[in-house]
Amino acid sequence: MSGHALEEVSPVYGLMAEFETAGQLVAAARKTREAGYKKFDAYSPLPLHELDEAMDLHDNRVGWFTLCGGLTGCTVGFSLCSWVSALAYPLNIGGRQLISIPMFIPVTFECTILFAGLTCAFSMILLNGLPSPYHPVFNWDRFVTASKSKFFLCIEAKDKKYDPEETKAFLAGLGAEEIAEVAQ
Amino acid sequence: MEQPVELASEIKIGPVIDPGLSLAAVSDKISSIVLKRKTTLGWMVGVFIGFILLQGLLTGLTWLLMKGVGVWGLNIPVGWGFAIINFVWWIGIGHAGTLISAILLLLNQSWRNAINRFAEAMTIFAVMCAGIFPIFHTGRPWLAYWLFPYPNTMSMWPQFRSPLLWDVFAVSTYFTISAVFWFIGLVPDFATLRDSAKHRWQAVIYGFLSLGWRGSARHWQRYEKASLLLAGLATPLVVSVHTVVSFDFAVSIVPGWHTTIFPPYFVAGAIYSGFAMVLTLMIPVRSIYSLEGVITMRHINNMAKVTLATGLIVGYGYTMEAFFGWYSANKYEQFMIWNRMTGPYAPFYWALIFCNIITPQFLWSKKIRTNLMAIWIISLIVNVGMWLERFVIVVTSLHRDFLPSSWSMYWPTIWDWAMYIGTIGLFTVLIFLFIRALPMITIFELRMLLPGAKVKEPVAQ
Amino acid sequence: MSDTTHTLAPQMTLAPQLTERLKRYQSIAAFVGLIGLALSAFGYFSGEQQQFLRSYLIGFMLWTGAGLGCLTLTMIQHLTGGNWGIMIRKITEAGSKTLYVMMFLFIPILLGVHTLYEWADPAKVAVDPILKEKSLYLNVPFFYARWAIYTVLWLGLVTFLTRWSQKEDETKDPKWTAKMEFLSGPGILAFVLTLTLASVDWMMSLDPHWFSTIYGFMMGVGNLLTAMACVISALVVLGHYSPLDHLITKKHLHDLGKLMFAFVMLWAYLNFSQLLIIWSGNLPEEIPWYINRLNGGWQWVGLFLLCFHFAFPFFLLLSQGIKKNGTTLRMAAIWIIFVRFVDVVFLVEPSFTKGVFAIHWLDIAAPVGLGGVWVSLFLWNLPKRPILPIGHPDLQKALNHGRDH
Repeated sequence: MSGHALEEVSPVYGLMAEFETAGQLVAAARKTREAGYKKFDAYSPLPLHELDEAMDLHDNRVGWFTLCGGLTGCTVGFSLCSWVSALAYPLNIGGRQLISIPMFIPVTFECTILFAGLTCAFSMILLNGLPSPYHPVFNWDRFVTASKSKFFLCIEAKDKKYDPEETKAFLAGLGAEEIAEVAQ
Repeated sequence: MEQPVELASEIKIGPVIDPGLSLAAVSDKISSIVLKRKTTLGWMVGVFIGFILLQGLLTGLTWLLMKGVGVWGLNIPVGWGFAIINFVWWIGIGHAGTLISAILLLLNQSWRNAINRFAEAMTIFAVMCAGIFPIFHTGRPWLAYWLFPYPNTMSMWPQFRSPLLWDVFAVSTYFTISAVFWFIGLVPDFATLRDSAKHRWQAVIYGFLSLGWRGSARHWQRYEKASLLLAGLATPLVVSVHTVVSFDFAVSIVPGWHTTIFPPYFVAGAIYSGFAMVLTLMIPVRSIYSLEGVITMRHINNMAKVTLATGLIVGYGYTMEAFFGWYSANKYEQFMIWNRMTGPYAPFYWALIFCNIITPQFLWSKKIRTNLMAIWIISLIVNVGMWLERFVIVVTSLHRDFLPSSWSMYWPTIWDWAMYIGTIGLFTVLIFLFIRALPMITIFELRMLLPGAKVKEPVAQ
Repeated sequence: MSDTTHTLAPQMTLAPQLTERLKRYQSIAAFVGLIGLALSAFGYFSGEQQQFLRSYLIGFMLWTGAGLGCLTLTMIQHLTGGNWGIMIRKITEAGSKTLYVMMFLFIPILLGVHTLYEWADPAKVAVDPILKEKSLYLNVPFFYARWAIYTVLWLGLVTFLTRWSQKEDETKDPKWTAKMEFLSGPGILAFVLTLTLASVDWMMSLDPHWFSTIYGFMMGVGNLLTAMACVISALVVLGHYSPLDHLITKKHLHDLGKLMFAFVMLWAYLNFSQLLIIWSGNLPEEIPWYINRLNGGWQWVGLFLLCFHFAFPFFLLLSQGIKKNGTTLRMAAIWIIFVRFVDVVFLVEPSFTKGVFAIHWLDIAAPVGLGGVWVSLFLWNLPKRPILPIGHPDLQKALNHGRDH
């Protein structure tokens, strides 16, 4: 990227507002969405299921990834048992079939859980864009309370509807205690 | 599915959390244990005792590696001695952690929020202690990787029809998933520690571990989904692990081992000993770190109830073993149960009945369930009882098998004891390190219990 | 959102349309039951005595199992509390009251004990040392006495629990709630032990050499599953009418669906454990039970159970949408009642057909007949009491479950 292009990037990440209670944040998030803002996010020290509904969040990809992981694990587990016992290293154990389905269930089951669980955890972390040691919201020194007791809402400068003055007034109208511009 | 019915006529148990705490106060209370509080004398003494015991493990292992498994008290026919007893005992203790963190999450039991982190840590440490035994029992622990299926120049593969291999898969999956679940649960709390840190190095370490968590609503939504899914996966997993452990015995044809009730009875026994261990550890920790507002009498009471219920299932298992031992009309089965009750190891059997069946009956009384000292003593007795149960199962079935000419007695040697007590030391040290370095209570879930977390949207003007 | 919180309607009277619908169902069930029993009686008198008895046993185990499952659910509810239990307690109580009749419907089997059970035939016992040894337990007078003990104990539990429940409705005094809680602890202990012995007596001893220590658990979980399916089927119908139409929430259905899902998994877990252990051990006194069930056509019934008693309901109930929707949940429940029937057939019939698949028309007629009797008793009991435990101190909380968020 050339130096010229860099100058065009706004030095401002967005406007952030701090709220005292979870209820205020949920109401603010709902109104922000209703006002037509798209690029905004709410920050809270605990999961608020009401926010999912207020912000219309319904990303179910973690579930689908987990399902795929589980099915892969199931197939891998059963194929491994069968291939090893019937083809790679066939042994006669008490006259039982080489492919003894009941005896392969435990390993198949464990592989299913292992693959599904790891896929679930990693897909959640990666879809969340983590690990991300740097993020503009950390630039506001008040934001340290976001992991303890306070509730924040940030409207990004990239949003089409974003206007430094209007958006600030809008946030103030939502009952924010503190509002600040945060740097990119 | 929430709290059990509480009646006016009964002794009051109190709420799940002190309702007077605020969001900030809860965050400070728990994180300050890690960040600010001076290392206490009690902590030092605890680690020291654990460390001394741990030396037993190190010495025992060194001697074992120098001399071979012959230093243990094993013989023919008792080829499975302390190693298997302790393995099953430790794995069982671990199960309460998963039960509390996963099953109670699925059942919406909010009282679990204060104790799940601690219980999960216990799971991971207990599985570590458990894993040591079978690995060294193989005789050549440096070749332990042979247990895994991988292409090799010998063209050999493990035997997938052996329950011992199922164990390899079950225990390693259990450890991996428990560790992942634990870490995922810690991420938001690492962020709290990062933001409360008093020193730069603390902020850097916890910041690194927090993965840059910032509490975004979009993240929480996926996070909550993933937590539920992991809980949903961990629940059948924990059942499967002890089921596979029980298959180690039941898939054989040895009387006393080959019995169909083993899977559910082992799972219940595991939860039983696990809850007893949580109580053994929680009751002192709660008073040392004055966490009475967070780990309330309701927790203790509920855990005592689960202990009683699983204890009764275990008792049912013993009854079935005895009844069907006779009903089978198979002389080996009948001899096995008779030998357990009256043979050379009968004192162990009756001690086990006393510890596991008689003692927990006191928990029917609400007076006992609200008396910390009484519960603590009962929990210790149950821990001992569950160890005796595994001793009785392993030893009495083997020492007098089908051929009287091969009968023999089994007594552990000093090296058996050194390793067993050594793992208790390892467990103690790990628990104390955990208490010092990580938030022992899930802070963000604790916040969810507070009145401050209730969403009351302001009425639109 | 306290404005949506419902305060309890002062009366729990059922809507007249509902009472009529229940009456109609009850008469249909009674009619079907009488036809089924009449056909079964015809079968008996046309010379099929033994076939009649084993078909009758299938019906008896299935439907008494539903009543016993209801009794277990009632006691579990008293012990654990929980919103799900409060919502269905009056329904499980009505289900458990069917035992007053069901326990006495065992009399035909008591009378036919010599035809049905090998161990009751002195000629066979005389030549079989194992049966001779077991005759200390497996003998006819003791079998009768045990039935009497189970009857007294179980009906005693039903009587106290329903009577105190009625007192609780009338006086609204939590003393009665506490009493029921107090009885349920030792009650469930005694119940589980006697249920295990009963399943040995009535089912396991059909193959008198065979034994399996997990059997009592398997029967208990099967009963819980049947009972849960019956309760859900009834609750969804009740939920279409006043007063429950505005009291049942999706959350209640979801919780009950989850519980049924758990029982489906538990059933599969216990059955798989038994299969794997006996199949691996391959011992001569155990494996015949599976040889009879995994050969000669019965293996397809086993496969059917694996697919449709476990896999199909498992994937169905995995979905939240299906559990929260009354219509789909009820369809799943009715399906489960059907596969429960297949499971009981699979437990009983192969012991007689010895590895050859054979189903008699009586295997349908007798269970349908007893089912008709059970359903009509259940529907007769159901409207006689308030449909919710109106004296329970936690009722309000249970009703608000699923409304506060």
